[in-house]
Amino acid sequence: MFRAFPTLLRIGLAEAVAYRAELVIWVLTATAPLISMFIWDRVAEEGPLGGWGQGEMARYFLLALIVRHITSAWVVWELNENIRTGSLSPMLLRPMHPLVFFVAQNLSAMPLRAVILAPLIVGVLWWRPELLWTPEPWTIALGLVSAVFAWAIAFAAQVIFGSLAFFSQQSLGLFNVYFGLWSLGSGYLFPLELAPDWLRQVLLWLPFRATLATPVELLAGLVAWEDALGLVAAQVVWAVVFVGLAAMTWNLGVKRHEAVGA
Amino acid sequence: MSLGVSIAALMRASLLTTMRYRASFIGEAVMAVAWAAWTTAPLFVVFDQAPTLAGWTADEALAVVGFFIIAQGVLEALVDPNLRAVVEHVRQGTFDFVLLKPLDAQLYVSLHRTEPLKLVHCLVGIGVVGYAADAVNAGPVELLSATLLMLAGLTLLHSLWTVVVSSAFFFVKVDNLSWLIRAGLDAGRWPVSLYRGFVRFVLTFVLPIGLVTTYPALALRGELKPSTGLGAMVIAVLFAGVARIAWTQSLRRYSSASS
Repeated sequence: MFRAFPTLLRIGLAEAVAYRAELVIWVLTATAPLISMFIWDRVAEEGPLGGWGQGEMARYFLLALIVRHITSAWVVWELNENIRTGSLSPMLLRPMHPLVFFVAQNLSAMPLRAVILAPLIVGVLWWRPELLWTPEPWTIALGLVSAVFAWAIAFAAQVIFGSLAFFSQQSLGLFNVYFGLWSLGSGYLFPLELAPDWLRQVLLWLPFRATLATPVELLAGLVAWEDALGLVAAQVVWAVVFVGLAAMTWNLGVKRHEAVGA
Repeated sequence: MSLGVSIAALMRASLLTTMRYRASFIGEAVMAVAWAAWTTAPLFVVFDQAPTLAGWTADEALAVVGFFIIAQGVLEALVDPNLRAVVEHVRQGTFDFVLLKPLDAQLYVSLHRTEPLKLVHCLVGIGVVGYAADAVNAGPVELLSATLLMLAGLTLLHSLWTVVVSSAFFFVKVDNLSWLIRAGLDAGRWPVSLYRGFVRFVLTFVLPIGLVTTYPALALRGELKPSTGLGAMVIAVLFAGVARIAWTQSLRRYSSASS
């Protein structure tokens, strides 16, 4: 598996390059943080809100956009399609686990995603240069670690909903509901720090924060050292829960998989 | 006269297709309400922090969201499914059958694959607008002008989609493009005056979602100058004309699947 992985990454990159026009469209479709950035910039115009000025707003949402794309996965659609059409069957026959293939596919599109995002990032920096700050080394290091966990949780969540296609025709609809809750609860559309108190208390106990807000706030240097470790610890717990659930739904699903030729 | 009969027949065909799945009506209605709540939630978070924003109160901004929900409903019921069907026709070569029909092709492709169930979203949107209209004490004149402006805005959206469909004859796979436009239109859930400079220009003139959501809301507040309102309607008619030209010109370039 480890010998095959570099080859898989090369294949994934070649695929991403082959479908570059579509990738551009998909990346540009997931730019909701830019809209939120303009709105919250306007809110912070009168004066900083709880320490958040226009610079912090722009920094938060720019990082939200970047983290959204470095932690993005689309395995839920791939799994759904492959399970419904039966094209999962040949993948199951390979000596390598199908999910390893999907991991490689997701990771290898990242360089190209970064290239597509670059002009947007430059544009935001040009629009609001005061978002720049001198980061402390520990926030960057911990933020990057946290981004890896965020990706793992997001990927595992998609595997869970993708594997539900083994059991139900409605799995994509269920994922859309999850995505709707995620976009409200993860800090994607508004910073959780600025949400009403009762809402923030609820969201503290839900997994969505761990998939986006935690790495974004860490990277932006908006979290104190004492709180940072607790946030990352929560991510580790959620990662274990989600990966465990993903392994369970996948294994149960493969057992009852009855596609053509399976 | 025969035009009316054709439209009625197309609508009845869509309705009959929908009626086969009656159970999904409840599901769609529940989803519509949930979706409206989802669309409004960021607004409440913003106005929790700032009582007014660029001259808009929460209730007034709610009217914008209401018009946005209506526009999305129309897109999902009328515009989007038809667009996807045309792209499919062009890709598979079945578009020739559309052209062979005696009915005007633009009218046919605009209505042949409608999803009436999605109009539930419009009902929810009308409810939201109604609540906001009550909150801002809109009178009959305001309601009427808001309705007219919204219709102008929807005409504009339809024209935009017609241009996208026309480009399908050259680029074939344009259904992804519709997702991109949808993402851009998402900016229309906020009053367009909250944006600045270049972004506001784009949202008013290039992807004119501001005309669909913000202008009717301004009319509801009674703050839209009659000249601006008339201007918006003239722009909508102009856009419809441009779309018609784009459609006929690209049809002329269409080389069909068999010749």
